Amino acid sequence: MIKIMGAALIIAASTWMGIEASRHFSERPKQLRLLKSALQSLEAEIMYGHTPLHEASRRLSAQLPKPLSVLFADFSARLTNSETTVSAAWRESLEEVWKETALRQGEFEIMKQFGETLGRHDKMSQQKQIQLAISHLQREEGDAFEKQTKYEKMVKSLGFLSGLLLIILLM
Amino acid sequence: MGMDVDIIFKIAGVGIVVAFLHTILDQVGKKEYAQWVTLFGFIYILFMVASIIDDLFEKIKSVFLFQG
Repeated sequence: MIKIMGAALIIAASTWMGIEASRHFSERPKQLRLLKSALQSLEAEIMYGHTPLHEASRRLSAQLPKPLSVLFADFSARLTNSETTVSAAWRESLEEVWKETALRQGEFEIMKQFGETLGRHDKMSQQKQIQLAISHLQREEGDAFEKQTKYEKMVKSLGFLSGLLLIILLM
Repeated sequence: MGMDVDIIFKIAGVGIVVAFLHTILDQVGKKEYAQWVTLFGFIYILFMVASIIDDLFEKIKSVFLFQG
């Protein structure tokens, strides 16, 4: 009886691990898409609304869902409350929030480089920088989507099967 | 006799699961991992079978050579 219960626990744990790992793969393209649309609305705020940066990012944080909204909320709070430069505040809030997201090192570099240019130029070159960051993110999104279709199912069934194998070996 | 049937089922179970793992890893292009998994499964079963064969030889020795 105890043996069966242990076996069920092992299966449940390993399947859960597999599902958790596959969720990581499916979250990444979703969050990249959100990040892209966030940059697009930032562009709109800057180009057509002439909104100041902290105000614009506060509005963005209200629009976006959870992990990305924290990034913009944190950024806006840093800009209003402390005496830092825009790029330093952007980098700090990126590092703060990055562990919460499913995003990878490549996107982190893109966003960091984007932050270096933020608030440095006039409107037109700012728009160009945003477009550049968006097109980089587009590339990463294609890569993420490819990885998702390739690995998502594999990780799920790998978790379940390795649990099964463990049970048979321990039986 | 019950124990023997148990071991046969165990070997069959390991074989099935390892075959599944091999197929899945092969499909996504991780051929080298697939081969490692199969190799380790094979080695595990080989050890199991070796210990059973060892039992068999001991029994034969004790029957025919009277060295109890």
